[in-house]
Parts: sequence; C-alpha cells; structure tokens
Amino acid sequence: MKKRLFVILISFMLIVFFSTCKKKEVKTEPVKKPVVEKVEEITPKVEKPVLTEEEIFQKRSLEEANKVGYLKMIHFDFDKYYIKDDMKPILHANAEWLLKHPVVEILAEGHCDERGTIEYNIALGEKRASAAKNYLISLGVPEARLKIISYGKSKPLVRGVDEETYYQNRRSEFTITKK
Amino acid sequence: MKVLKIIISLFIVGFIIGILPKDLYSQQEVRIRIKDGMPMIPVALPGFVLTKDSIVDESIKKEIYETLWNDLKFSRVFKLIPKEHYSYIQKFNPSNITFKDWASIQANILISGEIEISKEKRVVFSFKVYEVKSEKFIFGRNFGGKVEFVRLIAHRAADEMMKKFGEKPIFNSKITFVSSRDGNKEIYIMDYDGRRKKRITYNKYIDLLPSWSFDNEKILYTSYRRNNPDLYMFSLYTGKTELLSTVGANYCADWSPESDTIVFTSTKKGNAEIFSKSMKTGKERRLTFNRTIDTSPNWSYSGREIAFTSQRSGTPQIYIMDAEGTNIRRITHEGSYHDSPAWSPDGTRLAFVSRIEARFDIYVYNLRRNVITKLTENAFRNENPSWSPDGRHVVFSSNRTGRYQLYIIDYDGTNLIKITNKGENKMPKWQKRVR
Repeated sequence: MKKRLFVILISFMLIVFFSTCKKKEVKTEPVKKPVVEKVEEITPKVEKPVLTEEEIFQKRSLEEANKVGYLKMIHFDFDKYYIKDDMKPILHANAEWLLKHPVVEILAEGHCDERGTIEYNIALGEKRASAAKNYLISLGVPEARLKIISYGKSKPLVRGVDEETYYQNRRSEFTITKK
Repeated sequence: MKVLKIIISLFIVGFIIGILPKDLYSQQEVRIRIKDGMPMIPVALPGFVLTKDSIVDESIKKEIYETLWNDLKFSRVFKLIPKEHYSYIQKFNPSNITFKDWASIQANILISGEIEISKEKRVVFSFKVYEVKSEKFIFGRNFGGKVEFVRLIAHRAADEMMKKFGEKPIFNSKITFVSSRDGNKEIYIMDYDGRRKKRITYNKYIDLLPSWSFDNEKILYTSYRRNNPDLYMFSLYTGKTELLSTVGANYCADWSPESDTIVFTSTKKGNAEIFSKSMKTGKERRLTFNRTIDTSPNWSYSGREIAFTSQRSGTPQIYIMDAEGTNIRRITHEGSYHDSPAWSPDGTRLAFVSRIEARFDIYVYNLRRNVITKLTENAFRNENPSWSPDGRHVVFSSNRTGRYQLYIIDYDGTNLIKITNKGENKMPKWQKRVR
C-alpha cells in the first residue's frame, strides 16, 4: 500500500514539476527587437546653389543652348545684304556675348525670302552671312570662331506670301557649334 | 550762216528722233509671240492589232499605242489626224490598206502597228510607215522587249520617226530634278514625259541643282550632307558618288560638251565667282573677277561660250563670256532681276527667268533676231528653264497650282503640259544630247 502511495506521490510530483516547467517556458519573454524610434539625419545643410548664367550655359547641351537663343538673328532688306542700322545693336549684343564666351564657335546662316531664284539666293544668303560675320569681326570677335553657311531660300522660317513673312525669312541666324 | 544751218539741222534730227515710235530704236522688244518653224506633217495612227499568235492583253496594246500617240503629238514635227476622222472611212486593215481613204482625211503619213505578246511576257512591236499619196512603204522596224519596257519600245518607235524625218530623237531622253515626294529634297531622274521616276540620292540633307553631263553618264549636284553646300558627282552606271569641292559654297554646276570640264559657282574666295575645273587633271581656273555676285553658269552646246548671271551692274543680269572667261558682254538690259540662263541646243536662243514684282516668268531671248519672247504668263513663279535636246520644248518648275511642279512648254509658249504631281518638284534639267 505504502509502495503504491509512493508511486502516486512521485508521479504527482513529476506532473507538478513538468507542469511548472512548462509554465516557465511560456513565461519566457521574446527578445525585443531594438526599435530606433527617430533618427535625425545629419546630412550637412547645403544652401541651394545659385548658378551663374555662365554655369547654366555650360550645363546646357549645344542643342539646348541654341534653343535658348543667346544670339539673336538679324534681318535684311529685300535683295540686299548690308547690315541695317536697326540690326546693329543686335550684332553688338551678340559680339559682347561672344567675347564673354571665348571658346564659343558659331555658324552664321544666311537665308533669303522666296522672291529670288534658287541659284542667286544661295549667293545672296552667303553674302548676308558673311556681312554678319564681318560685322562681328569688326567688333573684335576672332575670325577663327566664325563660320558661314548659305541656305538660300530652302529653309524659310515661316511660310506665307506677305511682306511680314518675307521680312522674317530674310535673315542671318547664329548657331553655336562649339562651347 | 553755216552755224545756223547746223543748229537747225540738228534741231530737225532731234525732232525726228523724238517723234519716232520707241520700238524703232529700242534694242529689245518684249512679249512678242512668234509662230515659226516648219509646217507639221499630218500623220494617221490607226489602232494597233494583236497578231494571231499573241496572247490577248488589251492594256499592253493600249500602253504602246497611247505612248506613241503622245510622243508624236508632243513632237511639233508631226500633226496627228484626230481619231474621230478615222470613223468616216473604212476600218484599217494592215494587209489591205486603202490609201485613198487615208488621203481623204488629209493624212500624209500612215503608221500601222502590230503587237505580239508571248506567254513569257515578251512583246514584239512591229510598226510600218507609209506615204499615203504615193502609196509607198517608207520604212518599218521591229522592237522587242520585256513587258515592263513597253513604254521604251513605243518611245523607240517615235524616235525612229523623228530620225527618219531628219529630226533629233528625244523620246528616250530623261529629266533630272529635285523632289520632296519621299519627304526630303532628293535628286530623281525620269522619262521626258514624267513617267518611270527613279530616285538617285538617299540622305537626310538638302540636295539641289542637278545637271547632266553631255554623255548622260554623270549628274553633278549640290548637297548639304557635310553641313555645307558641296558639289558631288554621281555616276549613273557605276552608282558611285564623288565629292568634288573642298571649301565655300559650291553649286550651279554645268558641263562642257566633251563632259571633261565643269563650270560652277564657288564662294571659296569669299564671294560668289565662276570657276571651271578639268575633270581629267583636276585643275581649276577662275573665270570671273569682281566683288559682286557671279553665278548660274550655263555652257553653250558648242562649247565656245558660257552664259551666266552677274550682279556687277547692281542688279542680277544675264551675261555671256567666252569659255575662257574673256569677252564678257551683257545680254539683258531691261528689268531688274534676271537669272537661270539656259542655252538652246543650237545656240541661237537663251531662256532665262525674269522677275517682275514677286513673280517669275520664263523668257526666251533670240540672240540672232534680238527679240525676246515671253513663254509663261501667270501670277506665279516659273523657274529654272531647261531645253529639250531638239530645242523645241522647255521644262521648268512652277507653283501655279500652289505647290511647285514641273511643266513643259514649247519654244513659242504653246502646248503647256504638267509632268509631275506628287510632293514638290523643282530644278529640272533635261539631258542635253541624245544618241
């Protein structure tokens, strides 16, 4: 009888032991992941760069720079290729800009309105481009930086048959080719 | 007393000159239409027949017939008897020709045509030419070829007619021109009647002012493909393209009759001047020397002279110089803007463009008679005249329909025909010489 009681006691104890053991396991708290609540970025404060006009120009591609139009075009009288007085300030501004940008090379294009023959207009366009080129040279722009091309009447700026259209098309445009 | 007499006589002479009509002593007269040339030969061209062995293809028959009809009609040598008149007489029978009938409808020449089309799509066109009055067979030819060349076969037959009657064959001649039909200004060639167009340049740049060599093997033109107007030479039979110029704008090229020297405008010396260049030695020679624009050189078919445009008087005027650049004389005096001079093949006439207000018209200056004829008359721009190899027709461009198209007009301002329709077409140059 005593032996039986002992066994029961032992087994009871064992049960108690294991149950407590189990309980202890449940009680073990999971390891908390360290959570950083707020991290202050410590990147150095840079003031927004104010690019100079020069730097903006340098950043642009040739194509973009030409779109902006740093160099303004000039217009000519019908059948003529001399530089008109009212166009001179434009060339002065162009020359000033070119002198500020000593590496820039440009192409002066000569264009005509459609009231001339193809053959004669190529020559006339060339005369217009070279008149513009020579004027820029006279203002101190080195000749080596200036090239010319004539398109005659093959590249009109605008289409139309009125005097304003013709005026717009009789022009010399300046394209930046190197910077 | 003597002094008084002289004064009085001077006064009288002055008075007479004053009352003379201006035309009597003015050097040039404008806007005179002349109807000269030979009377045209009346030709009857009854419908062609297919031979017994031929496969039946009405479209081929029609194509040959109509091409030959149009060529003869265009020729200014032959006058076609209207088709309606053929219905007044017996139906044409090639094996039994009733010449009296054809004489009754005023035909001097009768052409009969037989066509045989084989299963392998080969065509044989045999045509026979008769003189109606004498009821005699004059000559005949057989032409054979693949079906796709039926137009050529008909043109050959028309050329044989021209040769037989002492005229230059022109119906296989070609015209080179600039067209935007494929989106960009490129150089093309085509038959004289505007058919069978063929593109010869393929680039994204502007191509301008093509010009045939006299041997018809090369075309000079200007292209912006190096971002500069440069002169290029295209060889038709090898397909090769050569760059000829180095610096400046180089354009308006034309050939010497031997096709061994070219003449062109160049700005290499800083101003538009005319240069010649030997294609054998490459040696260049400057022909004009002045600070104004000299351009548009056009070599005469004899090789002795070059017509060109110069602004030396203040406005662009036409001049002629000897091929070496000497003996320069001014041709146009009236008007303020002339350009695009083009020698007629016989050297007696110069076609050119004259601007009045914003309009361009084509004029022909007869150097022998000192008379100017106006070829075109409308409120548009008519440009770049070029002569047919026989000097009876002038091809030019005009924007009379809103867009530039090519037209042919006869030397006397008649028979205007339009030969292009698609895109814009400009700067035509007819082959100068035919074989």
